[in-house]
Amino acid sequence: MTVRRSDDGTLLLEGVCPIEDAEVLLQLLQTGPAVALDWTKCRQMHTAVLQVILASGMIPQGLCGDALVRQWLAPKLPLRADG
Amino acid sequence: MSALQEQFVTEARELIRQANDDLIALERDGISRERVDRTFRAFHTLKGSAGVVGLPAMSIVMHAAEDLLAAVRRGELGASVDTIDQALACLDLVARWVDEFEHGGSLAAQADEDGRTMVERLRSFLPRQTESHARRPQSAGTEAQLPEWASALIAAERDTLASRLASHPSAAIAISYEPIAGCFFNGDDPLQSMRQLPDLLAFRIEPREAFSSLADLDPYACNLRLQAISAGGLDEVRRIFRLVPDQVRIAAIPAQALSAGVSAISDGKGTLIVKVIEAQVELLRIPNRKDDLAGCVGAAARSATNALRYGDYSRLTERVEQAKALALSQHDAAPLLVALEQALLAINGAQTLEAAEGVDRANLSPDEAIQRPAQRLLRVSEAKIEALVNLAGELVIAKNALAHSAKRVEEELAERGIIDSIRRDHQAIDRLVLELHGMILQLRLVPTGQVLQSFPRLVRDISRQLGKKVELVTRGEGTEADKTIVDRLFEPLVHLVRNAVDHGIESPGERLAGGKPETATVSIEASRIGDRFLIRVADDGRGIDPGVIRRKASEKRVMPPEELATLSDEQVVELIFAPGFSTTSEVSDISGRGIGMDVVRSTIEQIGGRVSLQSRTGIGTSVQIDLPATIAMSRIMVVETGGQLFGISMDAVSETVRVTPDRISQIKNNNGFLFRDRVVPIVALAELMNLPPRPEDSAVAKLLVVMEAAGKIAALEIDAIHDRLDVVLKPMQGLLAGARGYAGTTLLGTGQVLLVLDIKELLP
Repeated sequence: MTVRRSDDGTLLLEGVCPIEDAEVLLQLLQTGPAVALDWTKCRQMHTAVLQVILASGMIPQGLCGDALVRQWLAPKLPLRADG
Repeated sequence: MSALQEQFVTEARELIRQANDDLIALERDGISRERVDRTFRAFHTLKGSAGVVGLPAMSIVMHAAEDLLAAVRRGELGASVDTIDQALACLDLVARWVDEFEHGGSLAAQADEDGRTMVERLRSFLPRQTESHARRPQSAGTEAQLPEWASALIAAERDTLASRLASHPSAAIAISYEPIAGCFFNGDDPLQSMRQLPDLLAFRIEPREAFSSLADLDPYACNLRLQAISAGGLDEVRRIFRLVPDQVRIAAIPAQALSAGVSAISDGKGTLIVKVIEAQVELLRIPNRKDDLAGCVGAAARSATNALRYGDYSRLTERVEQAKALALSQHDAAPLLVALEQALLAINGAQTLEAAEGVDRANLSPDEAIQRPAQRLLRVSEAKIEALVNLAGELVIAKNALAHSAKRVEEELAERGIIDSIRRDHQAIDRLVLELHGMILQLRLVPTGQVLQSFPRLVRDISRQLGKKVELVTRGEGTEADKTIVDRLFEPLVHLVRNAVDHGIESPGERLAGGKPETATVSIEASRIGDRFLIRVADDGRGIDPGVIRRKASEKRVMPPEELATLSDEQVVELIFAPGFSTTSEVSDISGRGIGMDVVRSTIEQIGGRVSLQSRTGIGTSVQIDLPATIAMSRIMVVETGGQLFGISMDAVSETVRVTPDRISQIKNNNGFLFRDRVVPIVALAELMNLPPRPEDSAVAKLLVVMEAAGKIAALEIDAIHDRLDVVLKPMQGLLAGARGYAGTTLLGTGQVLLVLDIKELLP
């Protein structure tokens, strides 16, 4: 799985996240408490996955592993408030 | 045929249909950007999928058609009747190819030649190449000539551009990419396209419309706008977006426009800020500073915010301050570190999201603003649904068999408890099976729109051929009915619409002279009333002249003259449904294709419907078709005669009576009896079925089932009445398919096949 909920409730994006991950991620966001989102290990994400993240209003943890997102988009997201 | 090829056939047909509709709408309503774009996309997707299944002829033709549409989109070519004709002819050819491909897996040898001819025809409509080049955006000179969205993009990304331009040469390309909602289904990944852009100077992404709440979010509907500025070449950028030309806007930004837009911040300033922040990052990365963390975080944040303020990066300043507070409260430098790294990227990267919000929204054309979300449907093969319907039917029969067994238990066992429990269980199963069957029939419901889709094209072609002006209005496309019914409706509707345009509608001159609008209206309207499904085809033409019908009917000896004379005008008009009756003296090319209104009526009756017609001379004609919306369960009564069992639809049964022979009298050649002040003829079922009659016994009362159907009343004489059952009627098949007098068959609980009678056919 390239998207999953870790034991401590953090949502993890890892490796290359394909379009299908958008639905999985959305379901995870809809069903459980959205503690945190870690995208540091995500090397590349599909547009649909990014769209779910943007729509969720969540601020992912750390520097995004996807260079395009890290360089151009992450700096524009507001700061994470919950640590 | 492989799954891929099957999918190609299904999708190609859908696209052809959609393109057909859009082309006709373009011709009717004039050019709208959304329509042209959608048509273009349909052609484009057809071209692409033809390539996938290996149909080069089709790819080439679609490519030429795309060029034609591109010229329409650029405004170089109007959506004239001739242009639309060409595009439609192209779709016809492709539709034919798709049929060929479905049957043989390849195209006929003729295809290449046909394709070449079509390409030449399409090309002959294209304006001169030079003209089209002149409009390309290379020629854009100064900022004043830049499209508004490009200027807004430069303004929004000013800071980013400033820090980047030092190392980059002058001119650049602005890109605004608004993928359609369904783009993911086409395999598009807009971010991936952006990744390919050479020498990015700026990149931003934002929702086109505010996101809906997570609970309602459709993860597969793209709602993003991606904008970028690239220092790469125009050709390279065009190549990246070549598959989505309708969704992307590209503008060349001349050097002076770019530098004029970004002169606010000098290079030196930017570099200085970056250096200061980099120093803070290094400082924070030194481990084991727990003792003095607060001081360290405070100092780093202070230096960084000062530097950022100096460069007017107010948003970034604010964020670093927030991060500082977070870091202090958590006793961990990490949040600040992340914020500083992001600030560095931002200075080298892009400006805040909200800067340009509201600017681009104003640029949205109304067409774009009402982008519909992609519809998500599940495609299930008809065969699977059919199998499910059959299984549910079998289940109903098995349930009836259970009733049969329950009855036997009741007769043979005296154990009250067991009988009661079986009866209870049977009732529960009975209810569930009926519900299940109902739900499964729901699966077969399809919207009427499916059958109405081809009518705009039909009406357009016929009216052009006849030199008439006709507008088709369809209503109630969403009304649902059983697939069998909707499919069977197509031919009768085609005939009714053809008739309306051909015979009903007058020529434009005649209409004007009669004080009517030049353009006539033909409407097809579908609606549901209870479990009935109604379709009305109406026109505002000349109506049907009862006098003409009367004359024709007597010429053709449709009925004896004295009977004809007694008919009212309304009844006379209905004669056009009589077998062999046609109101035009010559069979025209349009409607006279060998089927008349009588076929319309019989087709509709075969699927359990009725047709009626109203017409007023000079005002118009309206034909109403009344059908069952679903193929429902039929409730039948099982009767016995001459030792055989038959089913009779309960719909037709009004009463069962026992009549003593003295009440029966001979009327003409038939037996009859007085029933509720009406004389009802008696028909012996045994006689009708050629079964041995029961010996006459004047002492025994006859068992009669009084039935009414098609306005007739009669009593069927039988030997005994058995159960009443809910059954699914199967149409007569195989050798029996042509047998008249039967509505269908069903299996009895005993496993015996029961013939169900078609009362309407049997009544005298």
